[in-house]
Amino acid sequence: MSEAIVVENLVKKYGDFEAVKGVSFKVKQGEIFAFLGPNGAGKTTTVHVLTTLLRPTAGRAVVAGHDVVEEPMEVRKRIGIVFQDPSLDRELTAWENMYIHGRIYGLKGNELREKMERLLKFVELWEFKDKPVKTFSGGMQRRLEIARSLLHEPEVLFLDEPTIGLDPQTRAHIWDYIRAMKEEHNMTIFLTTHYMDEAEMLADRIAIIDHGKIIAEGTAEELKKLVGNDVIYLKLEAPEELKCLQGEFIRGCKVLPDGRVALEVENAAEALPGLFELANERGIRILEVTYHRPTLNDVFLHLTGREIRDESPENPMASFVRMRMRRR
Amino acid sequence: MMEALTTMAYRQLKRFIRARSRVLGMVINPLIWLVFFGLGWSRVFDNPMAKMIFGGVDYLTFLAPGIFAMTVFNMSFIAGVSVIWDKQFGFLKEVLVAPASRKGSILGRIIGDSLVTLAQGAIILVLTYPLAESLKLSGFLPALGVGFLLSMAFSGFGVSLALKMESMEGFQMVMMVLMLPLTFLSGAIYPIDTMPGWMKALAYINPLTYAVDGARHFLVGASVAKFSLGVDLGVLTVLAALLVGLAMTEFERATIG
Ligand SMILES: Nc1ncnc2c1ncn2[C@@H]1O[C@H](COP(=O)(O)OP(=O)(O)OP(=O)(O)O)[C@@H](O)[C@H]1O
Ligand SMILES: [Mg+2]
Repeated sequence: MSEAIVVENLVKKYGDFEAVKGVSFKVKQGEIFAFLGPNGAGKTTTVHVLTTLLRPTAGRAVVAGHDVVEEPMEVRKRIGIVFQDPSLDRELTAWENMYIHGRIYGLKGNELREKMERLLKFVELWEFKDKPVKTFSGGMQRRLEIARSLLHEPEVLFLDEPTIGLDPQTRAHIWDYIRAMKEEHNMTIFLTTHYMDEAEMLADRIAIIDHGKIIAEGTAEELKKLVGNDVIYLKLEAPEELKCLQGEFIRGCKVLPDGRVALEVENAAEALPGLFELANERGIRILEVTYHRPTLNDVFLHLTGREIRDESPENPMASFVRMRMRRR
Repeated sequence: MMEALTTMAYRQLKRFIRARSRVLGMVINPLIWLVFFGLGWSRVFDNPMAKMIFGGVDYLTFLAPGIFAMTVFNMSFIAGVSVIWDKQFGFLKEVLVAPASRKGSILGRIIGDSLVTLAQGAIILVLTYPLAESLKLSGFLPALGVGFLLSMAFSGFGVSLALKMESMEGFQMVMMVLMLPLTFLSGAIYPIDTMPGWMKALAYINPLTYAVDGARHFLVGASVAKFSLGVDLGVLTVLAALLVGLAMTEFERATIG
């Protein structure tokens, strides 16, 4: 079995409202797959269907080889999940939360204790293991949830907005854990996020979801190609007629009103050395270089006419509001 | 099934230990009833005429099993309904997504809650003995057994109710509408025999009546009880089985959102 998740025409309605409008995708074993989309896109709804917590209205989903409707127990045995909203017992300690999880997943004795110790150390919470969770910061709670989700060694791990509302250092930390999990355990990871950088940094493939529909899917590179080429901006010391450089890797050239030259290339990072050589050959001096690569935000903008980011970690107010919602 | 059951019972007991002073402090309310209501009226009823009405015992002795049953009833119902907090704080999702028997999980929770409730009930009983002169010491453990049946029934009922509710709003209403009238209609505070006919009818269908009566059997004696012990225990057992069964079915079907 090389496909960890297969979803076909999945539909989920809440009453009359269609939150997921027929999505289809496949996730290969050992892959990190990201659902990138704005608030209300249907990410969490999809995750809850895939983790057997909601019944789909129509369509089919197979996770870790088992149908989520036909064999929910078989699916539950093979998955782990970090929910978007907190799901810890705040009155209990980190250790007790881990212990309860281990027990209801059928682990016990020394095996359980060893795994708990290893994971609590992995997420750097070992020294806080006997503190009640209600005294933990948001980032600590998130790390504990990640450790807990790994305790029973799931084949497929679902992470619903794993870094929402966290500060940049903590986010980077959590990204490290996620990468380590993939590398060490060849775990399949289904991630949802509305942070473009997160999808880009972590995911092998990304599906962009909006209003319950997948509007584009592919690697980050492939998605960016949807918008167009990279653009290199040059400030040159050269006669006007020589400014538009010719070269096989150059897709287009325009002299901007401010005198700068805009070159379209497929991949700016790879094109730059060639460009310097070319300029050298022609005796043109390059005074300044900048380049713009399309971002996933450009992709989203291109496909929907809207920005994906209504908030970001750099916008503390938005995160603050969000955290308060999380703690509701 | 067993794993889920013992783990969830463990969780409820852990939570109790963490918050023991708060949880045990909840017996303040029944204690106020016992002291200010019970002790207050006991002087008024300190005459042969009144003693006859209360089955030949002093008022505090009559009242004590009633306050015990009321405590267990209130506390177990509150404990059951607190599933709503698991819904709100998200822990419920963790349980629902686990590959464990859901029936086992919720049964474990109800058992755990009932054990905690018994601790509260035991405290009330211990504090009652010095006040009520003719309570039987030998009735202590059997009375706790009656309390356990009652507690299983109402934790189960609380769980089913909480699974249907979206928030704590409206819950206050349910508490008000349910708790005090059921207590008054149980024969805990005054005998059923002297109630007006319509009240008597309600008392007969009130499950709490049988817990109060069962506790009286053990703590005071058959002479003050209204029904036979078999009837009391039978009603409570059937009720507990039904309500716990309902909670287990409801939990099996539970989804989120
Ligand atoms: N229980 C529910 N009942 C009714 N509508 C719901 C329910 N849950 C979600 N919705 C609606 O379904 C849509 C998709 O919600 P969902 O939570 O799946 O989005 P999301 O992509 O996870 O968004 P976010 O980034 O805010 O978490 C939203 O419009 C939301 O309002
Ligand atoms: Mg979501």
